[in-house]
Amino acid sequence: MSDITEPGRSGRNIPPIAISRMTTEVNLTGSWKYIRPRYEDRVAPCNANCPVGIDIEGYLYLLGQGRTEEAASLLLEENPMPAVTGRVCHHPCEDGCNRANLDEPVAIHSVERRLGDIALASPPPAAPDPARDEKVAVIGSGPAGLACAYHLARIGYRVTVFEAAPEAGGMLRLGIPEYRLPRAILDRQIDRIAALGIEIRCSTAVGRDLPWSELDTFDAVFAAPGAHVGKDARIDGASDTRMVRPGLEFLKEVNAGGRPVLGDHVVVVGGGNTAMDCARSALRLGSEVTVLYRRTPLEMPAIPQEVKEAKLEGVGFRFLATPTAARAKDGSLVGIECQQMELGPPDESGRRRPVPQEEGRFSMIADCVLTAIGEDCDLEFLPEGVEISGGVAAVDELCESTTARVFVGGDAADLPRSVADALGSGKRAAIGIDHWLRERSGEEVAPPDLAALRFGPGGNLSIARERGIDPLHRASPVNEVAGWDAMNPAHFEQAPRHEDHFHAAGDLTATFGEVNFGLSEREFRDEVDRCMNCGVCNRCELCLIFCPDMAIHRRDDGEGFEIDLRYCKGCGLCAAECPRGAMAMSREES
Amino acid sequence: MKKVMIGNHAVSWGVQRSRVEVISAYPITPQTQIVEELSDMCADGRLPARYIKVESEHSAMAACIGASAAGVRTFTATSAQGLALMHELLHWAAGGRLPIVMADVNRAMAPGWNIWTDQNDSLSQRDTGWIQLYCETNQEVFDTTVQAFRLAEQINLPVMIILDAFFLSHTSEPVDLTDQEIVDEFLPQRVAQYKLDPSDPHAFGALVRPDAYMEMRWQQQEAMRDTLRVMPEVDEAWGALTGRRYGAIEEYRTEDAELLLVTSGTITSTARHVVDARRSSGEKIGLVKIKMFRPFPTALLRSALAGADRVAVLDRNISPGHGGIFAEETRSALYDVPLEDRPTLFGYVLGLGGRDVTPSVIEAIVDRTREAEAPERQDLWVGVEL
Repeated sequence: MSDITEPGRSGRNIPPIAISRMTTEVNLTGSWKYIRPRYEDRVAPCNANCPVGIDIEGYLYLLGQGRTEEAASLLLEENPMPAVTGRVCHHPCEDGCNRANLDEPVAIHSVERRLGDIALASPPPAAPDPARDEKVAVIGSGPAGLACAYHLARIGYRVTVFEAAPEAGGMLRLGIPEYRLPRAILDRQIDRIAALGIEIRCSTAVGRDLPWSELDTFDAVFAAPGAHVGKDARIDGASDTRMVRPGLEFLKEVNAGGRPVLGDHVVVVGGGNTAMDCARSALRLGSEVTVLYRRTPLEMPAIPQEVKEAKLEGVGFRFLATPTAARAKDGSLVGIECQQMELGPPDESGRRRPVPQEEGRFSMIADCVLTAIGEDCDLEFLPEGVEISGGVAAVDELCESTTARVFVGGDAADLPRSVADALGSGKRAAIGIDHWLRERSGEEVAPPDLAALRFGPGGNLSIARERGIDPLHRASPVNEVAGWDAMNPAHFEQAPRHEDHFHAAGDLTATFGEVNFGLSEREFRDEVDRCMNCGVCNRCELCLIFCPDMAIHRRDDGEGFEIDLRYCKGCGLCAAECPRGAMAMSREES
Repeated sequence: MKKVMIGNHAVSWGVQRSRVEVISAYPITPQTQIVEELSDMCADGRLPARYIKVESEHSAMAACIGASAAGVRTFTATSAQGLALMHELLHWAAGGRLPIVMADVNRAMAPGWNIWTDQNDSLSQRDTGWIQLYCETNQEVFDTTVQAFRLAEQINLPVMIILDAFFLSHTSEPVDLTDQEIVDEFLPQRVAQYKLDPSDPHAFGALVRPDAYMEMRWQQQEAMRDTLRVMPEVDEAWGALTGRRYGAIEEYRTEDAELLLVTSGTITSTARHVVDARRSSGEKIGLVKIKMFRPFPTALLRSALAGADRVAVLDRNISPGHGGIFAEETRSALYDVPLEDRPTLFGYVLGLGGRDVTPSVIEAIVDRTREAEAPERQDLWVGVEL
C-alpha cells in the first residue's frame, strides 16, 4: 500500500485529507443558528379521543419498553376497570389512531384487555391511607359510580356505594350479556375496586329502600343511577300481550340467569347496542331473530363489531322499517304490522330522519317483540333543587348539580351513553367532589385548571395530572393533538393489525360463554410495537443519530435528551426526522 | 466457473466476489440490473453486505462516502443523469481519498431523453478526481470490477468502471467468475489508513485554508501519477492468477502499422474485426484501445502511436465547442513527439446516443483517413457530415 500520509515537497506535514487534528469544540457552531429545536411532547389522538381519559400512548410506551407493571399501573391511574373496557368499550381511541393513515389502527382495545387481565391476575391493591375525613355516598355501582368511588378512595376519602340491585355492577351486570363480559371478570374487577376500602351496599335503592335524608351524614353525594326505563316504542295493541317487552327488561332477566321462552320468531326493534344484545341473547335462547331498524346500517348507533358478530351468528336485519301494531290472538302475539320508512332531511342529531314511505306497509310473524329504542332515567329520588333538563340532570363539567354537595353523572347526565363515557364522568365527579370538599374544609385550593388536565383540547381529564402523580416524564408538553401531519411516515413500516380471535359462529348460539378470545401474547406484543407514540418522545434516538453536530445527548436521568445549544446550528434535521412530531423549532430571538 | 450473463450482472458478480460490505444505490436505466442483482444477493445471503436504499443518486454517493469513511468496502452504480446528480459528491469522494468503486453504464445525457450509450456522462466527470476504466467485454467488466477495489484501496482514490449501455449492460456473454479463494488471495480485506472511529474522534472534510489546500491537491495528483504505475501492477497480479490482463492501454496489431485506430469501449471489438480484415489484405493497420482514461496514460499512448503516419480516434462523445474528448487528449499527448514521428490525427465523432457503429462505418473511416490529405477540422461527425 502506498502511504498517503507522506508530507508534500513543501516540507509541511499536511495530511492527504481534511481531518481535524485537535478538538473542534472551540468552534461554537451554535452561534450560527436562527432557529432552534426543542422537545415538545404533544397528545396522541387516542388519548384525546378516550372518553375515560386514559394515557393510552403512555401505557403503550411503557409496554414497548417491557415495563408491563408500570404500564398496568398507569392504565389503572385513570381507568378502574380495564379488563371490562378492554372487552366492551366501543374504543373511539382506535378511530383517532394515526396508524390508519399508514395501514390500520392499533388494536388498542385488545391491548387494553390483555393488560387489564394481567392487572387482574396480580394481588389486589391495598386500601390507601384514609387521608381524608370526609365521607362520600355514591348512588349506583355502574361504571360511573364505581369510577367515582375508586378515584375518591384512592385519594383517601371514605366511600359508600348504594346499589339497588342485589349485586354491584349496574348496567355492566344487568345490561351486558355474559358472552361479551364474563361475570367472573366483572366480579374480580369489582372486588379489586372494593378492596380500596369502598363499602358497597347492594339491594339498597336510594329513595325506595333508603330515604334521601339518610344521606345527610355524607359530606357529598354522587348520583349515577343509570338509565333503566325503556322508551315506549308506541306499538298499537302492545298492551294486549305480554310478549311485546322492553328489551332491557329481557336482558336483565337473562343476565340474572333467567331463560325466558320467547317463541320461534323474535323481532328486536332498534339499532343500538341494547338491540344487538337482545338479538344475540334471544338467538342463544333458540329463537330466530330479526332486527328491525328504522334507519339504514350507516346510522346504526351499535358498535360495528357487535353488528358484524350478530350477522355472523345469524341475526337477520330489516332496515328502514318500524313496527306500528301488534297482532295478538288469545293474549299471544302472532305478528306485527310494520311501516316501511325512507330517509328524509337530517334531524337535530345530524342523522337523516326516517319518514314513512307511502303504501309501504308489511307484516311479520312474531312470537315476541323486544323494544330497544333507548332508555330514560328515573331521577325521582333526587332532591328537588337538582335541576332536570331533557330527562337528565343539569350538571357542570365536574358533575356538580344545581344543589350543593350533590353531583350527578353517568347516563343520568347529558352524555353519550357508553361505559367509557360513564367511567370518564365518574372520574370528573371525583375531581369535582375532591375539590369541592377541600374548598369547604378551608384548604387554599385553586380551581382545577381543566384545560391543563385535559388530554388535548377536547379530551377527558387526567386525574393523575390533577393529583400530580403522572409517572411519565413529558418534555414541555403542549395540549395539542399530534395528527397525521405531525408524523414522519418515512420511519414506519407497514404491519398488519391483529384482530381478536372469535369463537366460531356456528357454535356460539348454544352458549353464553365469552365469544371474543382477544389476542395471543405474540399478537399483543405486535400491537404494542405498532404504536407510533404520536406526538410523544419514546426515546427512539433518531434525533441523536441525525444530529450532524452531535449536539444532542441523552439525559442523565434517562428521560429523553437535551440539546447542547452551544453547538446546535439550528439545521432542523432532528425535528424533521422525528418520526412522531415530538420536536418543534422556534425562531431565535434576535 | 463460467456463466453466461449480461454485463450488468458481471458487475454484480464482481462486487460479490470482492466481498463489498456496503452498497447504496438508486435505480436508473440501463444500470438498474446491477443493483437489483446485488439487492437479491444481499437478501438471499450470497453477499453479506448492508444494502442502503436511498432517494437519489446524490444520497447514494453520500451514503457510500459515509460508509467508506467508516472504513468499509463500498460500491454503487449509476448512469447518465444519475451520475450528473452525484457530481458534487464525486469531488467529496475523491478529495476525501475514499476508495469507493462505482459502475457507470455509459448512457447519453438528456435532453433529448435517451437511454442508449455514449460516453458523455462519464467524461463530464473527468475532473472530479476519479480513476476511470472503460471496458470492452463482459469478462473485462467482471475482472475490472475486482481489480478496481484493489487499485482504489491501494491508491486511496475512487474508481469508476465504465461499460456501454446495452452493448454490454444488456448483452449476454460467457463470463469466467473467478473462484472466491482466488479473489480473496488477490483482494485482502480493506485496511483504511484514516477512518471514522468513535474512540479516536476527528472531523473529516472540514475547512482547509489556502496554506494547506494545495498540498492536499498535490497529494491527490501524486496518487493519480502513482496510479499510472500501480494500475498495470494490479492488472498483472490479476493476470498471474487468472491469465487475463488488459493493461492501461492495449496495442492490437500495431507493429509496423501506418494507420492506427484509437478506440474505447465496445467500438474496440468492432474495430478489431476491421483491423483483422484489412491486415489479411496486407494493409498496415492496427488498433490502440484506451482502457484507462484517468489518469491519462500519456506516455504509453505516446510510445504506441509515435511513428505511425495517421491516427484515427473514434470518439463516442463530444466536448461541445472543442472536439471528441479522446481525440483531444490524444492530440495533447502527441504534442511532445518530435515532428518527424508525430502522426496526423483525425478525430471522428460517432455513435452518440447509441447510434450503431458497424464494421462498414469503421471501414469508411479507415478509407477516409487513408485518403484525405489532412483533417478538415478537429471533429468530423460520422453519419452526419461524412
